[in-house]
Amino acid sequence: MMPFAELVREALRSQATAKQRTILALIGIVIGIGSVIALVTVGQMVQLTSLQQFEQMGTNIITIQKGWSDKGGQKSQARQNITYGDALDLAHQVPELQLIAPYTTTWGQPIFHEEPLDMPLLGVSPAFADINKLELTRGRFISALDGYSFLGVLGAGAADQLAKKGVNDPMGQTIFFKKQGIKIIGVLKRVEDGGMRPYEINPGIIIPIHTSFLFGTQRNVNEIMARLAPGAKRPQVFAAIQRFFNQRQPGMLIQIRSAEQLIAEMAKQSRLFTLLLGAIGSISLLVGGIGVMNVMLVAVTERRKEIGIRRALGAQKMDIEVQFLVESVTLCLVGGLIGMSLGVGTAYVLAQMNQWVFFVSGVALALGIGVSSAIGVFFGYFPARQAARLNPILALRDE
Amino acid sequence: MKNAMVMIQMKGITKTYHIGDMAVAVLKGVDLEVAPGEMVAIIGESGGGKSTLMNIIGFLDTPSSGSYWFEDQDASHLTDNQLAVIRNQKIGFVFQQFNLLPRLTALDNVCLPLVYRGVPHPQRREIAKQLLEQVGMGQRMTHHPPELSGGQQQRVAIARALAGKPALILADEPTGALDSQVSQEIMDLFKGLNSEQKITTILVTHDPNVGRQCQRTVRMADGRLSEV
Repeated sequence: MMPFAELVREALRSQATAKQRTILALIGIVIGIGSVIALVTVGQMVQLTSLQQFEQMGTNIITIQKGWSDKGGQKSQARQNITYGDALDLAHQVPELQLIAPYTTTWGQPIFHEEPLDMPLLGVSPAFADINKLELTRGRFISALDGYSFLGVLGAGAADQLAKKGVNDPMGQTIFFKKQGIKIIGVLKRVEDGGMRPYEINPGIIIPIHTSFLFGTQRNVNEIMARLAPGAKRPQVFAAIQRFFNQRQPGMLIQIRSAEQLIAEMAKQSRLFTLLLGAIGSISLLVGGIGVMNVMLVAVTERRKEIGIRRALGAQKMDIEVQFLVESVTLCLVGGLIGMSLGVGTAYVLAQMNQWVFFVSGVALALGIGVSSAIGVFFGYFPARQAARLNPILALRDE
Repeated sequence: MKNAMVMIQMKGITKTYHIGDMAVAVLKGVDLEVAPGEMVAIIGESGGGKSTLMNIIGFLDTPSSGSYWFEDQDASHLTDNQLAVIRNQKIGFVFQQFNLLPRLTALDNVCLPLVYRGVPHPQRREIAKQLLEQVGMGQRMTHHPPELSGGQQQRVAIARALAGKPALILADEPTGALDSQVSQEIMDLFKGLNSEQKITTILVTHDPNVGRQCQRTVRMADGRLSEV
């Protein structure tokens, strides 16, 4: 039996002589492994990044929204919205809700220096900053004493919009909404989108919730955000919330979402994503594998004489078979390693562009090496067996 | 059947090839005895069965019938793997077309039989170096076969045949691809190895000049062997 180091040396030596064909066959493997690694890594990065966002806010945050009737279109007579009053009473009735932050969203066109702006209005109470972990770069946040005053805090995106209009210090500026001037008293630091946070925070103007009622006709809230007390049992709390709303308005549908639930959903989604894209990678690998098989079959035909010589010098069938198998595995591993660095590189670029947390898991690397070796064995087996079965006398006579 | 003074003992060896429904008898009952240290030439026209006999002597092929004893071992019914082991340990092949692997250096070519015997790397390089020096190729160990002349390649091939310390050197038309002066140098090398190291040598040739330089010549014609 030929020693292993000798086999690998031999495999590299023979590949180096058939450079062009080798490179062509490798392209499929490189692309296949590259995409599998990139996809797996991207999937894992997205998951980690969103998990970190949830963890920033805490996994004990829930949101309560009105539910949508499954009797589509048919509106019942009863009011179906959650009101500010509901939110305040809920906090008393369900003591496990440690902190509660109902908020409203109002769409319309704020005007600044007679030009329209594209900014939603968020009506919030002071607890909103705590639950959403908001930080200020300048000024102050909405306080409980602000009542119905026309004061506003700019999200980071909204501040950028003003900066584009030449206003570098928005503090003290006035933005008009429905002919009411809102004075800017603070600017928020940019927050990560996704997770439980309302996406209107970055691009919006945040005003006191009572002020927002002045712009609408009702005291309905968009959503109630709440933080559970430590150790609160979710199923019981959710049931209590349901009971509360059923007493208020019989037949009212509400929808409660928890961070935990979202994390589970997201993990499921990203698994699906990984699987789907992994399948695409597998197809390129199949094509690459067939290319490798072709290269190996040609190599066996071209090197019949060599096989004959080796057999005459004492190589057993197994030696020849292993020699060609090692060669095809080495070929695939070379392609796999190039593919892996390409995949990791792609993932790195995507991570930079999307501000994901960059990391490469050992699982992804092991997968890359494992899959390329497996392809080498699988697609090299048939050519290698053909080489081993050559009649040495006929092979020696080959020119 | 045992005879200490005989290395090769063949009795009634036949070889028949089946091509479709046709049976072609290439060897029709060959008897041959070779003693250790002998230098034998097998001569004859092409198509007479020389190559087939050589393949059987060299364990590349098995006879259809008859008995073949090699160094007190019955060699007529061996498995493919057993044949490979005997080739590796007992036989040193020299071919007309040298049959060196062009991608390997002279040194690595000589090492090859030792690779299949599992000799560790530093040791087999040491052995190969000595042998290349012995055949006068000490200066060209790192050359690849295409960079060498025919005579030089055949010297490397002879060094490779000697690498496994074989009982028998089996040379198939070893001078067939060389001009007469180089042929003579190669023949001198074979004769020297035979007389100084007592290496049993069988040469297959159609060159009467080569046959004349061996102690003993046998002729192969129409599937049968006769002493000359």
